[in-house]
Amino acid sequence: MRKWAAATMAGTLAIGTLAGCGKEAEKPAGAEGSKQGETTKFSISMRTLAFNYVEKSPDINQDKWVKMVEEKTHTDLDIVLVPHKDFEQKMIQMFATNDIPDVVQGSGGVNGKELGGSVQAGVFQPLDELLQKYGQNLLKKIPKDAWDNVSYKGKIYAIPEWLSNPSRRATWIRQDLLEKAGLPVPKTVDDYMAVMRKFKEMGVENPYMGRENFRYADTFFGAYDVFPYLSMFEKQGDQILPKFMDNENMMKALTTYKTMYDEGLINKEFATINPTKFKETILAGKAGIWTMNANELLQWEQQLKAAVPTAKLAIIPSPTGPDGSGGHYLYGSVSRAYFINKKAPNPEQIVKFFDWMVSDEAEKFFTFGVEGENYSVENGAVKYKAPQTPQEVDEERYRQAFLWMVQDTTYNKGTLSLTEEGKKLIRLYDEVLAKEGRDGISFEPRLEALQKNPDVSPISDQAPPVLLNHMVKMVYGKEPISDWPKAVEEWKAKGGSEVIKEATEKYNKKDGVTESRRK
Amino acid sequence: MEAGRIRLVSRSRRQLASYMWKYKALYVMALPGVLYFLLFKYVPLAGSLIAFQNYNIFNGITGSEWVGLEHFRKMFEHYDFLRILKNTLLIGLYDTIIAFPAPIVLALLLNELRLVFYKRVLQTIVYMPHFLSWVVVSGIAIGILSPSAGAVNHFLGWLGIEPVYFLGEESYIRSILISSGIWRDSGYGTIIYLAALAGINPDLYEAAEVDGAGRWRQTLAITLPSLLPTIMILFLLHIGKFLDFGFERVIVFLNPLNTENGEILDTYIYKAGLLQQQYSYTTAMGLFKSVVGLVLVLIGNFFSRKTTGESLY
Repeated sequence: MRKWAAATMAGTLAIGTLAGCGKEAEKPAGAEGSKQGETTKFSISMRTLAFNYVEKSPDINQDKWVKMVEEKTHTDLDIVLVPHKDFEQKMIQMFATNDIPDVVQGSGGVNGKELGGSVQAGVFQPLDELLQKYGQNLLKKIPKDAWDNVSYKGKIYAIPEWLSNPSRRATWIRQDLLEKAGLPVPKTVDDYMAVMRKFKEMGVENPYMGRENFRYADTFFGAYDVFPYLSMFEKQGDQILPKFMDNENMMKALTTYKTMYDEGLINKEFATINPTKFKETILAGKAGIWTMNANELLQWEQQLKAAVPTAKLAIIPSPTGPDGSGGHYLYGSVSRAYFINKKAPNPEQIVKFFDWMVSDEAEKFFTFGVEGENYSVENGAVKYKAPQTPQEVDEERYRQAFLWMVQDTTYNKGTLSLTEEGKKLIRLYDEVLAKEGRDGISFEPRLEALQKNPDVSPISDQAPPVLLNHMVKMVYGKEPISDWPKAVEEWKAKGGSEVIKEATEKYNKKDGVTESRRK
Repeated sequence: MEAGRIRLVSRSRRQLASYMWKYKALYVMALPGVLYFLLFKYVPLAGSLIAFQNYNIFNGITGSEWVGLEHFRKMFEHYDFLRILKNTLLIGLYDTIIAFPAPIVLALLLNELRLVFYKRVLQTIVYMPHFLSWVVVSGIAIGILSPSAGAVNHFLGWLGIEPVYFLGEESYIRSILISSGIWRDSGYGTIIYLAALAGINPDLYEAAEVDGAGRWRQTLAITLPSLLPTIMILFLLHIGKFLDFGFERVIVFLNPLNTENGEILDTYIYKAGLLQQQYSYTTAMGLFKSVVGLVLVLIGNFFSRKTTGESLY
C-alpha cells in the first residue's frame, strides 16, 4: 500500500515537473524586457468600468487577451475585478480587511476617495527610483500634469493613464433634425433656445434631454460658468469662492432651465430620469440635443441608427454665455492610476510591465489585436477588420480601453484614423472640444471643511445636496429663482463659510492648490 | 427546557458535565448556531467602538484617536437631524400601522378561499414581487406613476384629473414608500401566518358551526385568537427594527424634489458614511438607531406580556 502511494507520488511529481518544463520551454525566449523564461507573478485589482465583456467574462484570468498580454510581457497576472458601481465601497473594504493586491488601480490622483487615504498611510511605495531605472518610456510619454496628479509630497506614487484632452463631455445634436429645421448650428444660449423651440414644433419629444440631478444635463450651467462642482473655485477679490456664488449668472442659468421646463423643451420628469432611461430615450430617437462623452459618438450613432435609420449625430460647440465661452467641466488629467503595494515582491518587474504598455508593440497589439485574425498588412498599411456585432464591439472596447492599462485615453488614434467617421471624431476633439470646457481652482486633498460636512460638499459632477435641492425646485417652479442668494446663504450657514475660509487660506499658502487649466 | 435549567442551577459542576454528556447530540447540533451568532452578531458589536473614535481604516481600532461622545454631539446638533429623525419616525410609524397588518389581512383573505387551485395561483402571484430588488420595484413605481406615460395618471385622466408628478411632490413620497413596500412584501409575509392558520384545529371550526357561528364570527372568535401569539412575536420583532427602514428601498425613490420628506437616517448614513467616508459619525448614528430599537423592544415586550401574556423572552 505504502509503496503504491510512493510510486503515485513520484509519478505525479515527475509529470508535474515535465509539464512545468514544457511550459517554460514554450515561451519565446529572450523577448524584450525580461530575463529568459522567468515569469513575474503579481496580482492587480481593476475596476470593471461596467464593460460588458469584462463583467460577463466567466474568469477574466483565463481570457485569451489576458493570456496574450501575459505571454508578451512574461507575467502571470492575477486580475481581481472590482465592480464598477460599488467601486469606492469595495476598495475601502479591501483596505479595511488588509487584503491588498500587489497593484491597486485607482481612478484619479493620490487623494481619490476610493483610496481612502491609503497613500498617506504608507500602503504603497514611491516609484521615482524604479521609474528612473525601469520606466524611461513611461517618463517620456506621460505628461507632467498627470505625474503631478499621482504625486504626494514630491514623490510619484502611481503610474497614471492620462487624458491629454480633459474636455471630454460634449454637446450632441441630431444633425438630421437640425438640417430639417433649416437653422444654422447654434452658438449662444439664445440660438440654442431657438433650435429647441423649432424642434418642439417639429414634434421632437425632448428637444434637450434632461436627467436626474442635472448629471449630463448641465450644458447651460457651463454657458454661464457656474458649475457647482468640486473643481470649480475661483478668485474673487481676496477670497476663493465657489463659482455658484456668482449669483447673477447662476440665476440666469436657472432661468434658462426654468424656461425650458415651462415650454416643455426639457422633459417635465427630468428629476426622475435615470441613466438607463436617458440613453433609451435618446437611442429611440426622442431627443434633439443632449450631453454625452464625445468618445461614445460612433457607438451611439450606430445604435441610434438601428431605431432611426436616417439619424445623423454631430458634436457641436457648446452654448456660449455672456463671456463668450462655454463647455462642460474638465475631467482630471488622470483616468486610471496604478499603485504598487509596498509588500509587492517584484516592483521592478511590475514597472517594466507598465513600461511595456506604452511601447509601440503594445500600441499595435491593443489597437488592432492579432495579425491574421483581427487585421492584415497590405502594402505596409494595416487593414483592420472593424467589429460588426455588438459582442465584437464589446471585445474591441475591452481590448482598447480596459486591458490597455496605460495610454492616452482621449481617443484611440489607431482605429479612428482608419475610417472617415473616426477622423471626423478626432477632428471634433482637436477642433471643438480642445477649445471649450470650464475649469476652476481645485484642492487636493479635498478641503477638510468639505469632508466634515457632506451636505455642503459637491462631488466631481454634482452640486452639493443643499444646493441641488434648491436648484431642482427652482426649475420646477416650487421656489422662486430670486431666492438663489438665500440658498447660497444657507449653504454658507451649514458649513460653507468654513469651506471658503479654508480654501482662501490654502490658496494663499499654495497648499495643495491646482490652478484652473482654462481661463 | 425551563425546568431543566432550574434543576441545573442546583447541581454540582460534575453533574452538569454528565448532563451535557447525556444530551451531547443536542449541544453538538446547537454549536453551529451558537458559533454563527458569536461570530457574526456578537463579535461585530465590538466594532461599534469606532463610534467613539475618529476612526481611520489604516490605523485600526487600536490606533485611532478616542473622541468620546463627540460624534453623538455632532449628530444631535446637525441642523437637519430633527427633520431626518421625524421622517424616520413617521415612516416607521406608517409602516407599523399600515404595512405590518397587511400580510395578516391578506392571509385571512387567502385562508377564506375554498378553491384550492385558485388559492395556490393567487399565493404565488402575491409572493412574487418579494423577489424583485428595490431598484426594479422603484423602476416599476416610477414608470406607473409617471405623469406622461404612467397608468395611474391615465386613470386619473379618465376621471378628469390633471396628471400629478407623484415622485416630484414631497407630500406623496411617504405613501409611495409604504405602498411599494406593501406591494413587494406583504404577499411574502403571509407565509408565516398561513402556516399558523394551517395549525388551527379544525374541530374548533366544526364546533363553532354547530353552535351557529358564521364565517365572520369564526374568524373573530377562533382564527384571530389563534393567530395572536404569532402576530405578537412578529410585532415585537418588527418594532425592534422600527428605525431600520432600510436605505436600499428609500434611496431609489429619492430625488431633490422629495428628499425633504423622504430622507431617513439610513439614507443619510449611506450618503455620509459610505459616500463621504465618515465611518465614526455614521456608526454613532447606527448605534443610536439600535439603542432606540432595543428600548422599543423592551417596552413592547413589557406591555405585550402584561396584556396578552405573549413575549419574546
